[in-house]
Amino acid sequence: MPDAPALSVEGLVVRYGGVAAVRDVSFEVGRGEIVGLVGPNGAGKSSTLMAIMGAVPPSAGDVRMGGRSIRGKSPEDIARSGISLVPEGRHIFSNLSVRENLRLGLVGRRESNGVGKDLEWIQSLFPVVKDFADRHAASLSGGQQQQLAIARALLAKPDILILDEPSLGLAPVVVQAVWEALREINRQGVTVLLVEQRAQITVSFCSRTYVMSNGQLRMTLTPGDADNTERMVHAYFAS
Amino acid sequence: MRITRKALLEFGAPALLLVAVCVIGELVSVGTQQDFISALVNATIVIALWVFIGNSGVISFGHISFVALGAFAAGLMTIETIVKPNVMPNLFPFLQHHSIGNVPSLVLAAAIGGLVALVLGAPLMRLSGLSASIATFAVLGITNNVLTYWEKIGPGAQTLSLVPETTGPFQALVGALIALVIAFVYQHSRSGRLLRAAREDPHAARAIGVRIERHRLVAFAISGALAGLAGGLLVHQIGSITTNQVYLDLTFLTLAMLVIGGMSSLWGAVVGAVGVSLLDSFLEHAENGTGVIFFHLKIPSGASLLILGVLMAVALLFRPNGITGGREVSLSSLRLRVGPRRA
Amino acid sequence: MTALQYIIDGIALGSVYALVAVGLALVFGVMRLVNFAHGELITAAAYTLYLTASWPKVFALAMSLLVAVALALLMELVVFRRLRYAPPATALIATFAVAFALEAVWLIAFGPQGKSADVLSSLNQTATHGKLHIRWVTITMVGVGAALLAGTGVLLNRTRIGLEMRAAAADFRAARLLGVRANRVIGTAFVLGGLFAGVVALLLTASQPLVTPTFGLQVTILALVGVVVGGMDRLVSATLGGFAIGFANSLLGDVLPSSQGVFLTSFLYLLVIVVLVLRPGGLFVPGGAAARVERV
Repeated sequence: MPDAPALSVEGLVVRYGGVAAVRDVSFEVGRGEIVGLVGPNGAGKSSTLMAIMGAVPPSAGDVRMGGRSIRGKSPEDIARSGISLVPEGRHIFSNLSVRENLRLGLVGRRESNGVGKDLEWIQSLFPVVKDFADRHAASLSGGQQQQLAIARALLAKPDILILDEPSLGLAPVVVQAVWEALREINRQGVTVLLVEQRAQITVSFCSRTYVMSNGQLRMTLTPGDADNTERMVHAYFAS
Repeated sequence: MRITRKALLEFGAPALLLVAVCVIGELVSVGTQQDFISALVNATIVIALWVFIGNSGVISFGHISFVALGAFAAGLMTIETIVKPNVMPNLFPFLQHHSIGNVPSLVLAAAIGGLVALVLGAPLMRLSGLSASIATFAVLGITNNVLTYWEKIGPGAQTLSLVPETTGPFQALVGALIALVIAFVYQHSRSGRLLRAAREDPHAARAIGVRIERHRLVAFAISGALAGLAGGLLVHQIGSITTNQVYLDLTFLTLAMLVIGGMSSLWGAVVGAVGVSLLDSFLEHAENGTGVIFFHLKIPSGASLLILGVLMAVALLFRPNGITGGREVSLSSLRLRVGPRRA
Repeated sequence: MTALQYIIDGIALGSVYALVAVGLALVFGVMRLVNFAHGELITAAAYTLYLTASWPKVFALAMSLLVAVALALLMELVVFRRLRYAPPATALIATFAVAFALEAVWLIAFGPQGKSADVLSSLNQTATHGKLHIRWVTITMVGVGAALLAGTGVLLNRTRIGLEMRAAAADFRAARLLGVRANRVIGTAFVLGGLFAGVVALLLTASQPLVTPTFGLQVTILALVGVVVGGMDRLVSATLGGFAIGFANSLLGDVLPSSQGVFLTSFLYLLVIVVLVLRPGGLFVPGGAAARVERV
C-alpha cells in the first residue's frame, strides 16, 4: 500500500509472565523519516523492538510494515522482508572475522544485484570494515563493533533500519560519527527508527521522537522541543 | 523454621501421598505389594536426587552410585556370617566375619553414602553445568566398575544374595518419611535457601559472598546419605542386588521421575517417583502377562521400556517444567480455604 | 605388537571417536542440546547393515547411511524441535527418553543377542609392511576419519551454510535476526550428525560385526565424555577431546596388563575427573583453566 507508513505499531502489548513490559503502545514511522524512541532503562523500548522483529510474541496489538501485518511471522522472515535491526549490545559474532560478519548481512538481502556498489558505499561510511576485514571481530573496539553492526545491517539493503541504543558505551566523538553516518543513510532513502536513552540529543536529531516509560508512550517531541527536553520530561513525571 | 500453615501443607501433601501408598500396599495381594514398596523406595531415591539437583540446578548422573554403595554395604553386612566365606571367599576378613542387624545396616548404608559423597564431591563442587554432570557420571562409572570387579569388598560380578528381606511397606514408608523430613528441613535451612538463590543468579550470589561450592557440598553429602539409605531399603526389599540393577537403567528412571514430576519442588519429586514407579510396575506386569487388579494386557518383552520412554518424551513436550510445574503444594493450587476469608 | 602398532591403533580408534564427537558437537553448537540419542543413530545404521547384508555392497552401505540420516531428521522434527526453547534439563532427559525408547525398539525387533553385520569384515585382513602388521580396517578408519573431518572444516569455513551454522552457534538469536533460518542450520547439523553416525557404524562393524541394542550407546557415552573434557563450546576442541578419549581408550587397553584390564574404565573416568577439575573450561581450549560462563 503506497500511502501506508513504512512501519506502524498499534495497541502493542508485550508480557513476560505476569508482567506487562509494553502496554498499549501505538506509533508510526513514515517512509524516509528518522524517528526516535527514548526512555529510561526498563521503559520497554527493547521489548517493543523485539516484538516488531518477531523475537517475542505480542500478547495483543499489531505490527505493520507498509500497511501489511507482520505479527506472528518468524524473526527470519521479518529480517528477510526489508527490515534490519542493529540490536542492543551489537551482537557481533566474535568467533568470526569482520568480513564474515559482513557476509552474514547478505542473508536478509532481497536483491542479489548491486552488492558491490552497496559495499563500496558502506565502506565509505565505515572505513573500519574494509581496513580490518580479516581481523577477528572480537578484537575491534566498541565503537568499531558498532560500526560493523550497522554496516552488516545495511548490507541487507533494508527499507527500514532499526537501531537499539547504538551510542551505549561509546565515546561522544564516536557517537557523533555514527549519527552522521545515520543521517547519510537516511538521505539515501532508508527509513530509520532510533532507540536511545539520551533524550535530548535524540530529540534534536530525529524528525519526531516518542518518549516511553513504564511500558507506555508519554509524549511526542520534535526538534523544536530539544532545548526544553529535560524540563518537559521532568515536568511530566513530576505531575 | 516457623511452623506455618504453608509449611504444614508443603510437607503434609507429599507425606500423605507416601502414607497412602503404604496403606494401599498393605491391603493388596502379595504380588502387587512389591510395586508399592518399590514406589516408596524409588520415592526415597528421588527425594535424595531432589536435595541436590533441585536445589543446585546441577544435574547429577552419579547419585545411583551412592544407592549402589548403600545397597551393597547393607546387604553384605546383614548376610549371615556362616554363609559369607563360602559364597564370597575373597572378602576382607573383617567383612567376612561380622554381621549386623536390619536397622544398623540402614544406618550404615546412609553413613557410607554420605561419607563417600562428601569425599568424592569435595573437588567436584566448583564445576558447573555439563562439566559437573559428566564428572558425576564418571563417579557412577567408577563405582560400577569397582563394585563389579573388586572381590575383596563384595561378590563382584555375581549377585549378592541371601540378604534378609526386611523391607515391607512399613519399613519403606519410614525410610521415605525420614528422607522427606530431612529434605524438608534442608529446604528451609539457610544453606538450602542460599543454594537456591545461587542457582537463580550465580554471579549475584558470588558478589555478595555466598560460598556456592560449600553449600553445594552440603546438599551433595545429604543427598548421598539419603541415596545410601534408599540403597539399604532396596537391597532388603529384593533380598539380593547386582551392579547392573544400580547403574544406567536406574539412573535414567529416577532422573526421569524427578524431571517429569517437576525438578524444582519436593512435591514434584514425590509425585514423579510414585507416578512413574507405579506405571513402570504396571507395564512390567503387562510384559509378564500377569494382570494388575482388573487390567489384563500382554505386551512383548522390552515394550515397557519403549512405552515408558515415549510417554516420558510426550510428557516433557507438553509440560517442560514437570507435572507440578516445579512448584510446591499451595493453598491456591488446592483452592482450600483454611480459616476465615482474608479481606 | 610394537609401540608404533599401539599408536596407529590409537589413532584409528581416535578417528572414529572424533567422528562421533563432531556429530555431537555440531548439534550442541546450534541447539545447545546434548543428544544422548546420537548413539541410536549408530545402532540403527549397524542393524540396517545386518538387514541388507545380502544386497550389493554399495547399496547396503548407502542404505545404512540413509537410515541414520533419516532417523536423525525424524528425531529433530518430532521431538527436539518442540524442545528448542525448553529448559536444558528437560531437553537432556528427553534425549535420554528417546535413546531408551529406541533401544527398546531394537530389543523388540532384534532380540538381546547380537546380530552379525559383516558386510565390511573383509577389511579385517592384515596388510604387512616389513615388521608392521596393520589391518585394512585400521587404515580405512584413519583415512575416512581424516577425509570427513577435513570436509567438515571446508563446509563450515567456505560455504554459506557453514557460515550460518557458525554464527548460529555463537549467537542464535542474533543470527535469526539477520535472517538465518533456524530450521535450516539445525537440520543441516542433524543431517551431518546422522551421516557421521552412519559412517561410524560402518567402520565399527568392520572390525566388530556383532550388533547389539547397546551398540552405539557405549561409544556415544565415552565420546560425550571426551567432548566435554576437550571443551564443549568449540568444534575443534570438542573433536580433539573425542579423538583423545578414543586414543586413550585404545592405548590403555593395549598397554595395561590384563589383570588390571578390568579396571581400565575406572582409570579412564578418574582421568576425566582430574582433567575436569583442573581445567573445567576444556582441555584443548586456550585459557580453559577458567571455566567459561556456562550456558547449560
